[in-house]
Amino acid sequence: MSILKRNNVHVAGAGPATVFFAHGFGCDQNMWRLLEPVYAKRYRTVLFDLVGSGASDVSAYDKNKYATLDGYAADVVELVRELAQGPTFIIGHSVSAMIAMLADLKAPGQIAAHLMIGPSPCYINDGDYVGGFTRRDIDSLLDTLESNYLGWASNMAPAIMGAPDQPQLAGELTNSFCRTDPEIAKQFARATFLADNRADLPRLKTPTLIVQCNDDVIAPVSVGQYMHQKLPQSTLAVIDNVGHCPHLSSPSQCSVAIDSFLEKQGF
Amino acid sequence: MTDASALAGLDPDPFEDAPCGLARTSGTGIFLAVNRTWCGWLGYSAHELIGKLRLQDLLTMGGRIFHQTHWAPLLQMQGSVSEVKLELVHRDGAAIPMVLNAKRHTRGSVTIHDIAAFVARDRDAYERELVRSRENLRAAVVESTRLQAEAKAHAQDAELMIGIVSHDLRNPIASITMAATLLERDATAAQLRTLERVKRATDRTSALITDLLDFTQSRLGAGLAITVEPIDLHAAVGAIVDDLMLAYAGRALRHVRKGEGPCQMDKDRLAQLVGNLVSNAMTYGTPDTPVTVTSTIGADSFSVAVHNAGAAIPQEKLADLFEPLSRGHQGNNRSRSVGLGLFIVREIAKAHRGAATVSSSPEAGTTFTVTFPA
Repeated sequence: MSILKRNNVHVAGAGPATVFFAHGFGCDQNMWRLLEPVYAKRYRTVLFDLVGSGASDVSAYDKNKYATLDGYAADVVELVRELAQGPTFIIGHSVSAMIAMLADLKAPGQIAAHLMIGPSPCYINDGDYVGGFTRRDIDSLLDTLESNYLGWASNMAPAIMGAPDQPQLAGELTNSFCRTDPEIAKQFARATFLADNRADLPRLKTPTLIVQCNDDVIAPVSVGQYMHQKLPQSTLAVIDNVGHCPHLSSPSQCSVAIDSFLEKQGF
Repeated sequence: MTDASALAGLDPDPFEDAPCGLARTSGTGIFLAVNRTWCGWLGYSAHELIGKLRLQDLLTMGGRIFHQTHWAPLLQMQGSVSEVKLELVHRDGAAIPMVLNAKRHTRGSVTIHDIAAFVARDRDAYERELVRSRENLRAAVVESTRLQAEAKAHAQDAELMIGIVSHDLRNPIASITMAATLLERDATAAQLRTLERVKRATDRTSALITDLLDFTQSRLGAGLAITVEPIDLHAAVGAIVDDLMLAYAGRALRHVRKGEGPCQMDKDRLAQLVGNLVSNAMTYGTPDTPVTVTSTIGADSFSVAVHNAGAAIPQEKLADLFEPLSRGHQGNNRSRSVGLGLFIVREIAKAHRGAATVSSSPEAGTTFTVTFPA
């Protein structure tokens, strides 16, 4: 099967480098709708959906492969090999920042810089480490996911969703950007929130920018500081944003931080 | 009757006591306005909420993660979310399942969210039941798949056992036959008759063992082995019928020949096939009427048919007649086989890419026909 179809890949833009956009847990590549156009003016851009999310090929979802972040990282390695031209930057949101890190460790030398938005190496509190959550919180999330299929059951009626001349109607009636098979959503939630990649951080030698929001319940500032301490080649940029998706709520703050980092790295 | 006195005591604002909770928050979730229903359901006064708490503060931890990973991005991307079910935590700590709709409004740099909430306890209870029964169903399917595999394994073991036992019975039977032949040399006339009965019994036993072996062979996947060679059909069937006449002394057995031409098939299987069909005809046919074996050679096929007069096989039995262990007539103890004869006939036909059929009526009697492509 083509990995372009598997990951619902969209390539745009042109330029001396390639920027990959990896969405986080919950929604799909539509999350990049405000940030990606900024970079498509200067670089080749690659948007994709993680398998099981968005419009990826659900038939490619292998329960064993995607039980941990390693399966997703293997896909990213393949995507970079197939699509990168020139130096490669990966903008990874949340869990995908860790997926991109694992991909880099799997196949070193392919990625020139990581741009991590709201990353966390471990969501669960552990001794002195404060991830922000307990195991019970994650069970509570699984419970919430169970009762929110966001239109999954009605995905046999894509007519409304695909009505481009009636965007208002589409917006009113669907939750399509975050629609996922509830079973896959639960497994992805486990893979995401029960992962512990703290031990991998010191091994990543690639230049990395950590974009940290000053008010984010999913990735608190203390987690951003921890990442910064443990990642040898990292820069921490704290931006003024409430919530976990600054690329949607504060896209210009994100791009300013990213641009100044890339400039300092000589790109 | 809509004069002022009829509405006395009702809030002039129709939204305060609306049958749903209404709230307006800032883009970051801070309460800007709430109606009385919202406050009543959650146990807070408007004063405690407005400007002080955020929508997220009223959610469970799972709800807060969901709010960040689904709700907030959806509101930003499509301007609204609908039918999201979250648990809101009452001031006293109790979690109340609610279904929420939200809409995002932007005026310049200001963003507000309008939210409508409905308590959904019944829906929540019902959905939990559905989830539970789906889990039960899944467990039941796993269990039944396991049982099915187990039963299949048992059945295969049993068939394998039949094969092994049948195979091992052949040697002692051969010894008996050989011993009987040796005894014939010095036997008296009376002893010869007894030895003849011994040999007929061992022949029938051998035939039964052959059927059992063929049955297991075809059931365990290999299919019947055949060696096809050119044969003179009429002569071959004639010789088989002659042999069978000796075995069924006292019964009338006729052979009818039709057409001429070359035929190809396994000679030993032909004998087995005719033997099985004649044995059935002798068992179920009226004793004082003849059994007729007809060998027919046509342009693109040849066939062997065995006919007997007598009671018809019930229509509902005809379909399963060629299945192993099925019998046309029940409770007939004269049958020598365990119900494999017709199954073997069909397997022989199949191995030659032919077909076995049966027709039966009180007037015409019963005819089994096996047709082979020329």
